[in-house]
Amino acid sequence: MKALPASFGAVAAAAALAAPFVLERGTLNDLWSLALGVILASAWNLLGGFAGQVSLGYSAFLGIGAYTTALLSLRGVHPFLTLPLGALLAALFSIVIGLPAFRLRGPYFTIATIGVGEAVRVSAASVSFTGGSGGLRMPAGSFDFQLNYYSMVVLAILSVVLAAAVRSSAFGHALAAIRQDIDGAEALGVHSTRFKLAAHALSAAVVALAGSLYAINFQYIAPGSVFDFRLSLSIVLMPIVGGVGTVAGPVLGALVFSTLQIKLLAVPALRDAYLLLYGGLLILVMLYEPKGLVGLWRRLVARARSAGSVRGPEVSDAG
Amino acid sequence: MPAEPLLSVRDLSKRFGGLLALDGVHFEVARGEIFGVIGPNGAGKTTLFACLTGSLPPTRGEIRFLGARIDGLTSPAVVARGLVRTHQIVRPFREMTVEDNVSVGAHFGAGRRRGADARRRVREILERTGLAPRATISAGTLTIGELKRLEIARALATEPTAICLDEVMGGLNPSEIVGAMALIRSIRDAGVTVLMIEHHVHAVVGVSDRILVLNFGQRIAEGPPREIVRDPEVVAAYLGDDSVPVRADG
Repeated sequence: MKALPASFGAVAAAAALAAPFVLERGTLNDLWSLALGVILASAWNLLGGFAGQVSLGYSAFLGIGAYTTALLSLRGVHPFLTLPLGALLAALFSIVIGLPAFRLRGPYFTIATIGVGEAVRVSAASVSFTGGSGGLRMPAGSFDFQLNYYSMVVLAILSVVLAAAVRSSAFGHALAAIRQDIDGAEALGVHSTRFKLAAHALSAAVVALAGSLYAINFQYIAPGSVFDFRLSLSIVLMPIVGGVGTVAGPVLGALVFSTLQIKLLAVPALRDAYLLLYGGLLILVMLYEPKGLVGLWRRLVARARSAGSVRGPEVSDAG
Repeated sequence: MPAEPLLSVRDLSKRFGGLLALDGVHFEVARGEIFGVIGPNGAGKTTLFACLTGSLPPTRGEIRFLGARIDGLTSPAVVARGLVRTHQIVRPFREMTVEDNVSVGAHFGAGRRRGADARRRVREILERTGLAPRATISAGTLTIGELKRLEIARALATEPTAICLDEVMGGLNPSEIVGAMALIRSIRDAGVTVLMIEHHVHAVVGVSDRILVLNFGQRIAEGPPREIVRDPEVVAAYLGDDSVPVRADG
């Protein structure tokens, strides 16, 4: 029953990998942005979707990856060699903030993550080794778009594969149990804090990898770009619009968002209206289909089936 | 009773603000027993199970299981040592299938099974609890009788040495209660020591080897079922209520 989305995914991945041979640079840039969105949304979904721990502080991890890459590249390290260190630092940071923050539940956890994200942004802007609010420029001569494109697309594909693997694993079951009933999960032996920390670290590492690639491609980073709260907001909105807690949802959400962003950027009057639009989308999703586009699709499939057969379908959300 | 009890509880107290929910409770449970816990509403029965299994930290007292202190441990740590509980108000993972619910216990309980080994264990437990035909449906769609069995199945999947069953017969019809009593005996016969809270007095008298009676957080009696139902203090506190007719013949 997972064959259909999996084969769609394989075709989309193949198309994205073949794209540089047929498409022009502008379109490839858009695909690069889409790939970035897929990574951020899928990685956030590991903790926010599967385990139900909604964090609004994910720009911190993107920024840690981006700054690690920029700072080390400026000291002569090859940019791509900085990726593992950025991921490691983000994972460690996620554990440091997770240990106290995971003592909080529901909205209190979310509020704490907003505080962490903002604290990191303000810190990056006020210390000197990060270049302060002026940001950092990558060393000249380190730009190769073809390489940047492929690395982002490959990371996007790996992120989706990772999400699918986590979802069907014992680890994924533990996260789902934590989301649905944390005390019930603990009563069956699930060490909830350990699993939340593990999911947080894994998703932080993936987001930091995307942050490194972001720095490598844009060549310039600043607290106002990579540590922006609006970025944290977009990271949350993509999986929610697409279908929180599913594998396909973050991909669909990223597709919707990058398309909207591109269309809006083309209209000067609407350039700053995207938050309004995202807010509106969020309200629609929460009111009418909490499982997002994926939930809408499942409902349509269920309706089509029950229209076709006398017996009602047994719909299970276990897949 | 053998020299070393499986579970021994000494001077166990739990205070919620001004309420002393458990007040110096003590008892021992031997390996292979079915140990009933009864008492009026609010007597502290569920609080007792919560303290035993790490859901609530005791205010005072000592709990030993398999010879080691377990008071103060978290519930996953207690489960890892082989003591697990079910919940009176069932708490299934509603968005998961029945078998995935049970596999959480198989994966993360004392057995820590993985892959095909875990699936085999889950299948076996679903058969034992009569849930096999419902394995692949969403747990949210089960009846109350099935949900009670799912609670037991998930707890058994953790491979406990002892299991605390909290009112698994509540809301069941008479034929389901007969089935539940048989299931509880079969759990004990499979080598798992059973502690059970039950409002259904006939059932608990029918299956228990010994019964502990609590009232206002205090232990008021403990002994074989036949003695318990004749104990004047128990009758006054609990059984004296006409709505619970119990005859202790012989």
